[in-house]
Amino acid sequence: MRKLLCLLLALTMLLAVAPAFGEELEPVTLTVFRGDPGDQPTDDNKIYKLIEEKFGVTFKFEYLAGDLDEKLGLMIAGEDYPDLFDGGNSADLIITAGALINLMDYINPEDTPRLWAHIEPQKARLIEKNAAGEDVLYIIPNYGLTYGDQIVNAVNGPAFFIQKQVLAWAGYPEIHTLNEYFDVIEAFLAENPENADGNPYTGFAILCEDWRHFCLINPVQHLMGRPNDGEVLIDVSTDEFHTETFIDKPYAKAYYEKLNDEYHKGLINQDTFVMNYDQYIAALSSGTVLGMFDQTWDFNTATYALQDAGMYENTYVALGLVYDPEYVDGREIEEHYVNGSLPNVRRGFGISTKCECPERIIAMWEEMLSDEWQIIFNWGIEDEDYYVENGRLLMTDQQYANLNDANWKLANKAEGFFQSSPKKQGWILDGEFAGNCWEPVNQPEIVLGLMNDYDKEFLGAYGYSKFADFVNPPIELAPYGEAWQIDYTPVEVAHTKFLQLQDSFLPQLITCDPAEFDALWDKFVSEITPYADEFGAYMQEAVLAEAAKVLGN
Amino acid sequence: MNAAASNNQMQAIKVKHKGFLRTLCSQWQMALMSVPVLLYVLLFNYFPLRGWIAAFEDYNPKLGFYGSNFVGLKNFKDLFGLGELPPEEFLLSIRNTLAMSVINLVFGTVSSILLAVLLNEVRKTLFKRTVQTVTYLPHFLSMVIVVGMAQNIFASGGPINDLLAQLGLIKEPVFWLGEGRYFWWLVGVINVWKEVGWNTIIYVSAMTSIDPCLYEAAAIDGAGRFGKIMHVTLPGIKSTFIILLIMNIGHLLEAGFEIQYLLGNVKVMDYSRTIDIYVLDYGISAQKYGLAIAAGMFKSVVAIFLLLSANFVARRLDENTLI
Amino acid sequence: MVVQSVNRPSKGFRRRDWLFPIVNALLLTLLMFITLYPVINTVAYSFNDGTDAVRGHIGLLPRKWSLKSYQSILSDANVFHAAYISVVKTIITTVLNLLVTGMLSFTLSRREYVLRKLITTLLVLTMYVNAGLIPNYLLISKTLNLRNTFWVYIIPTMFSCFNMIVIRTYIAGLPDALVESARIDGAGDFRVYWQIIFPLCKPVLATVALFVAVGSWNSWFDTHLYCGTEKDLYTLQYLLKMKLATTNQSANAAKSTAEALKSTTNTTPVTIRCAITVISAVPILVVYPFLQRYFVTGMALGSVKG
Repeated sequence: MRKLLCLLLALTMLLAVAPAFGEELEPVTLTVFRGDPGDQPTDDNKIYKLIEEKFGVTFKFEYLAGDLDEKLGLMIAGEDYPDLFDGGNSADLIITAGALINLMDYINPEDTPRLWAHIEPQKARLIEKNAAGEDVLYIIPNYGLTYGDQIVNAVNGPAFFIQKQVLAWAGYPEIHTLNEYFDVIEAFLAENPENADGNPYTGFAILCEDWRHFCLINPVQHLMGRPNDGEVLIDVSTDEFHTETFIDKPYAKAYYEKLNDEYHKGLINQDTFVMNYDQYIAALSSGTVLGMFDQTWDFNTATYALQDAGMYENTYVALGLVYDPEYVDGREIEEHYVNGSLPNVRRGFGISTKCECPERIIAMWEEMLSDEWQIIFNWGIEDEDYYVENGRLLMTDQQYANLNDANWKLANKAEGFFQSSPKKQGWILDGEFAGNCWEPVNQPEIVLGLMNDYDKEFLGAYGYSKFADFVNPPIELAPYGEAWQIDYTPVEVAHTKFLQLQDSFLPQLITCDPAEFDALWDKFVSEITPYADEFGAYMQEAVLAEAAKVLGN
Repeated sequence: MNAAASNNQMQAIKVKHKGFLRTLCSQWQMALMSVPVLLYVLLFNYFPLRGWIAAFEDYNPKLGFYGSNFVGLKNFKDLFGLGELPPEEFLLSIRNTLAMSVINLVFGTVSSILLAVLLNEVRKTLFKRTVQTVTYLPHFLSMVIVVGMAQNIFASGGPINDLLAQLGLIKEPVFWLGEGRYFWWLVGVINVWKEVGWNTIIYVSAMTSIDPCLYEAAAIDGAGRFGKIMHVTLPGIKSTFIILLIMNIGHLLEAGFEIQYLLGNVKVMDYSRTIDIYVLDYGISAQKYGLAIAAGMFKSVVAIFLLLSANFVARRLDENTLI
Repeated sequence: MVVQSVNRPSKGFRRRDWLFPIVNALLLTLLMFITLYPVINTVAYSFNDGTDAVRGHIGLLPRKWSLKSYQSILSDANVFHAAYISVVKTIITTVLNLLVTGMLSFTLSRREYVLRKLITTLLVLTMYVNAGLIPNYLLISKTLNLRNTFWVYIIPTMFSCFNMIVIRTYIAGLPDALVESARIDGAGDFRVYWQIIFPLCKPVLATVALFVAVGSWNSWFDTHLYCGTEKDLYTLQYLLKMKLATTNQSANAAKSTAEALKSTTNTTPVTIRCAITVISAVPILVVYPFLQRYFVTGMALGSVKG
């Protein structure tokens, strides 16, 4: 069997090496792996046709249907690498396995000026040093290399959410602290226990399902005035970047004690702890949940359903809450929910060691960073997919609707390739279309055109122009990025246990008899401390290491 | 059974007498029908077992089975909670796995035999076929769908609580989904709901081999309907039952993970975590492949032990055996 | 027919003779309702508008009718080719399994067969040993080089021990005399199997055919592992699985101005999941009655024994 294996291996290697000597621009088919699910484009997809005409390149896509790490493990074990390799959220696996080539061998200011200019502003974060001291870059980020001022139309990440009708009912108050938030919900609930259909309102929902338990365990860092760093709180005021797990600290106790209080006041229902995601979305979509902590993208479907049913007053607005001074020794905490824009480090295409024409892919990307190609990818073909009026890129309602039609996109967009390729985001800074946005979804005319009348009026009552005005403008991105991006595989065991104990104790803390709260909290802290310490210590090191890359120590 | 056993002994004597090879030659047609399959499983099931070496390694797919670092019994120590993994979790996961396996085995077997017997008593073929077709349909629903529905049905304001309240059996809604003590039973009930029709198929087909004369004979002996079930129908599917039982006893450490993963939540974690979930959490997600393989090996060894024991007991009781 | 005559009511019209069939019919009808509910509920969801369906609480009928879920799945031209691949793969796999397993089970039911114990043991153990994914992958992908070929659907799934046990148990229940008398007549084992055992095994073979066909039809993992790059080899289940994963993902995609984006396709994971279930179950339901004939009605065994 071994012999047969060797023979077959040798044979495949021979076959693989043979066609390596090709002419430039001879038609080539690139195999592509994407670390996320997706549908195959149609054979006559118009953008891929353009690419074929211009670059002589066609693609064979493989998307991910099952588990990413499992699939990558098999690809590594068999060294079955595609040409263009997007390892999704587990790109570290393929980088460690040596599956990707160093792009810095091909990218430099002379040969690839556009690519160089694209990564240069963030090179401290992107380019690492290998053991030999050389510059290495395996993956050009697929998202987050933005141009111009950061576009924040709405809070897309974490926030405390509240139904618009609650604020409207209360006379459009400014809500900034935890107490103010629960006070207004309590007041609303006292006067309106049921909606018009006679269904009871729920004051506050907490989704705890699987990885979405961030709704349960993440709020404390934000109440302390930091954007999303995952499960640690980092002091960015000094270069020490003091990092600690927050869940076991006294200031976290205040939040869960508050929730315990609200539970006994009836704002929180015990069913919230056993809800699955579908049930949670169903509850939100029915308009009976007044508030929750979540991230905007996590309940998009509920928002669509509410809008679709014309229940605009039941849609949510994101608030940036902080602790009232009484909870934190009288300190005034400044709110920071929105972070500076963040390159999606190690996400996107790398070129695998099995690829026979890396220089051709680089040259193609270089050309594709031109305005012409970026507009083709983002906006499409002029007068088919968008139109130009007085130098503005615009879309008709139908053209914009197409962008949300999955089947239309299979024939008319090149998402399989473009989503993982280097791309420009933010504002077009120069040239013919300066002042427009690279992406239709951010173009001010389009954003405004899509806003419904209820929202316009609602914002008007506050004197705001966009929903992001409810929170402070973005804070400058900390040198280490956002700590949730840090790979904690080395302390995975401690981390798993750390999360498990939170899952197990926090719901108990919220529902327990207030008289027993302190004792249960102490038990929680004593059980979680060893794991929290191990995880926290690792994160401290990792945060400093990340920061050092940017600060250049 | 005795006759079969003595027949077996005689055959054995005959074989010894004639010599193994000569017998085999005379049985070449049977060999031709079975030996290729043996070679097939050697290639597809046994050859890959070389991968078990990874249980003793810090396996890295890049370095392969023969290149990864050898770590001795570390993965097994970890698995059993003697290493870096929290010690109590392995035992907890074993407890949960066994509890749910046993409940599933008992519920599954009893319900499918019961349904098969009831079906067998139906005289109208059309009705019988309809019942059978309808009851096996849920098998084709994915676990996500079935568990999702169960979560709605057992919710605090769901139909089960409504029904119990209307019958006056409860005053407050029962927190079915959030109390650990209900979890195992819910898993059992949902599995029956989804699979009873499907599991019945095998018993219904076994009943077709029952000789109709036996029913007539029983009727002549004065057996009523119940008597016929006890003395004809059930004995008729006994061998299938025994074989499936032995087979399932070997699978006692396989309670799965999908249903527990879907139905579980933060309130019932101590009851929902099976071995598979334990390994997923600490093995796969931490990229400790070695741990996952060690767990697989452990499960295999236990399974074979259970299987052989069950098989041995069955043989002692003069029942049909798997091997 | 046979069963009817057997259960003919006896002369004395005893209480349980009329009570039992009624209770039995009631019980079975109740069971049908309990098992039918999730199925109808799934169908109802699949015909409901996607955006509306996320609000839940749909019972036996759609609340807001829509064919969008089906349209969005079936408008992908690849679906039909994938269905074709699935059908071919399922048929070949089923036929091969029956062929191989039937003969094998016959030999393993013969007590006089000298290799019986050895082969049975080695086969049974395959149900309990699992090498893990990677070595299996390497065997199929590297050693046998089946990656991106149609045969990867067939060759690794030609045999399953469970089915062998099922058939063997059934054959063991048949009268020994059938085989003995045929042998005395000078028939070889091939002829004994094909002419005597095989016709009698139709109920159990139909059962096993159902098991194999359903397993093969429902599998998507083989495509995922071995044929992900070969669009022409996609199976229906793989494609549907991918559609569901894609819908799931786009429902949660971190979009930069989420509040401004409204899905126009009106498909959500809730309805797509149900439509996919219906689409993949329908072909099996169509085939089922043909197989069911064999194992519900049963065989008039007595006549063969004669």
